[in-house]
Amino acid sequence: MAELFWFEKYRPRVFDEVVDLEEVKARLREFVRSGNMPHLLFYGPPGTGKTTMALVLARELYGEYWRENTLELNASDERGINVIRERVKEFARTAPVGKAPFKLVILDEADNMTSDAQQALRRIMEMYAQNTRFILLANYVSRIIDPIISRCAVFRFSPMPRGLMAERLRHIAKSEGIELRDDAIDLIYEVSEGDMRKAINLLQVAAATSNVVDANAVASATTMIRPADVIELFNLALNGDVAKAREKLRELMYVKGIAGIDFIRAFQRELIRMPLDDEVKAEIAELLADVDYRLTQGSDEELQLLYLLSKLGAIGKRARQTPPPSKRR
Amino acid sequence: MALPWVEKYRPKSFADVVDQEEAKYVLASWICARFRAPKDFCTRWAKKKDKEILDARAVLLAGPPGVGKTTLVHALAREIGYELIELNASDVRTAERLKEVVGRGLREGSLFGYGGKIVLFDEVDGLHVKEDAGGLEAIIEIIENSKVPIVMTANNPYDPRFRPLRDISLVVNLKRLSEEEVVEVLRRICTSEGAKCEEEALRSIAKSSLGDLRAAINDLQMYLSGGRKTLTVDDIKRVGERNPQLSMFEILDRVYRARWFDEARAISFNPSFDWEQYFIWATETIPVVYKEVETMSVAYDRLSKADMFIGRIKRTQEWELLPYALELALGGVSQIKNKPRLPPFIKYGFPQRLLILAKSREARKRRDALVEYLAQNLHVSRSYVKSEIIYVLGALAKSDSKIVERLSKALGINAIDIKTLL
Repeated sequence: MAELFWFEKYRPRVFDEVVDLEEVKARLREFVRSGNMPHLLFYGPPGTGKTTMALVLARELYGEYWRENTLELNASDERGINVIRERVKEFARTAPVGKAPFKLVILDEADNMTSDAQQALRRIMEMYAQNTRFILLANYVSRIIDPIISRCAVFRFSPMPRGLMAERLRHIAKSEGIELRDDAIDLIYEVSEGDMRKAINLLQVAAATSNVVDANAVASATTMIRPADVIELFNLALNGDVAKAREKLRELMYVKGIAGIDFIRAFQRELIRMPLDDEVKAEIAELLADVDYRLTQGSDEELQLLYLLSKLGAIGKRARQTPPPSKRR
Repeated sequence: MALPWVEKYRPKSFADVVDQEEAKYVLASWICARFRAPKDFCTRWAKKKDKEILDARAVLLAGPPGVGKTTLVHALAREIGYELIELNASDVRTAERLKEVVGRGLREGSLFGYGGKIVLFDEVDGLHVKEDAGGLEAIIEIIENSKVPIVMTANNPYDPRFRPLRDISLVVNLKRLSEEEVVEVLRRICTSEGAKCEEEALRSIAKSSLGDLRAAINDLQMYLSGGRKTLTVDDIKRVGERNPQLSMFEILDRVYRARWFDEARAISFNPSFDWEQYFIWATETIPVVYKEVETMSVAYDRLSKADMFIGRIKRTQEWELLPYALELALGGVSQIKNKPRLPPFIKYGFPQRLLILAKSREARKRRDALVEYLAQNLHVSRSYVKSEIIYVLGALAKSDSKIVERLSKALGINAIDIKTLL
């Protein structure tokens, strides 16, 4: 099933398949050769190879036993630091299989933990240092507390350079028997902003409808993978149909399980494209920022989002009643 | 037809008032002894000869809400053919105002050939010390000088400040209705509305009404709202055993109808006020009351800010913040600039959230299984699956039908259900 998604199917398995990050590779290779390493911290934007590199390292360390020796955790998914502690404790109870003297805990989105949770994490890292090493993955190193940073070897991951991304996309297209045009590569690079996972997803969706992937195919792929249902909600609210918007909101929240913050992010991305007055856009941007904050502070996501929807309705109504600025001038 | 059932089915005659026989005898005996009343009415109901009853200058009907105090007075007036002059808690009842209304009523002759006039001071224990200044003294003065029957009602007349009032009136206690009687009335209403109601469901409503018939009828109307024609025990269980909707219904109504900030805020002091429930119900009902987006968004803004305090309290246990949250959630939601005029009866729906959560449990389980499966196999977080991968998968599945089949096989979920998740 994993190879259904090309980003997984073409995820590098060994150091040699990784097309960039030469310095990172060199140092990690040294750890594998010596059979010892400190805790690691990989930080950088999404889709720059942090998870890939952690998994490659696991394979290089343990060979065929990499799964047995690796525990993958996601800080945003686990319910609290206590759950993480229990899972690490359970995992560290047994000795590593194979030649390496330690097991590997890969903790993704570590920067989403509160600083209190990170303090607890630091103690967990020390407690099991005998036979486990942690690889922490984060988008922002500034959100990791100093005592953790000082215990880790820190590696920075940068967005994929244009030339290397093009090379990789061409390689995938060739293996899949697809004709990939240059204008398509340009557009994929622009939309994905150096996020390799996003770039490959775009390529795959574009290729699903035609064997020749050009800029047009990529453009329609971009709209296909937009969260259309969330955007519909945005429009319903702006048009003042709050009753219908509320119904839609509940379906998305309670049936599809979309989190509050994901509505804000989708709205925010969509806002740029909307045919609205700039003053109105600025007002909505301010509102989205405000509700983002309220979501972090409040206890009831539905209530906070209903405030957002009704306020959008009020802004939309006023915008329809006010003539556009070109006429006012 | 937005007539509340408590009005629609209010008893018209003395005989129809249920389960208060003793009070009826006392009230009728008093009226027949001191005022003119039809003979057949007195023969049937005036059975008491106690001196205390016959000498009383006024009657004070005391009892919990919804047992029929006001109804009984209305029915009495109708039976004896008197015109009813009524002043209740929503009227301003300062001394001046009382004398003006009652005085005018008693001076003017009756237009419709009534045999006399009867004055009802409803909910006298609700007299406001400041707003209704001098009201209590005025009522006593009116009673002392009155030539017409005066009846009062109160939930709790035993407050020391009503002592003078008790001294010059006959206090008649109305009891809580029995569960049997409440069920009986509910059954009649069901039949008359053409609804099929399970006996056990009616019993459950009756039980939690604690003898308050008005509450029970309001409950029944809520359950059968939107033209529903059946009521089962499951309907009631789904909404919660302890029947929060009764008190919630009344609490919401009081909040939205409050005239002042303080009146709305004070509802949080009511012992039956459950703020966690209130937030859910207010979230549901704001658009029912505030139909325009402008006022609606102000109401949601206030409730949203209140919820931020609740969030802080839950995280840090700073319970001293609770008053801010409640002021915003009650007073803030009640008092809004350009508030619309409210209709006499507002249909507050049940929080749909609870129903949707109950109904979609299976769908959510399937979705969670799919999300977990993808997160594990693709080495990404569950939230990334929900916000990104699902949409990519949906786009891919459109041009390749095998994808859904494969997922269906891997997860043991049927293909149609998988499709609804994408």
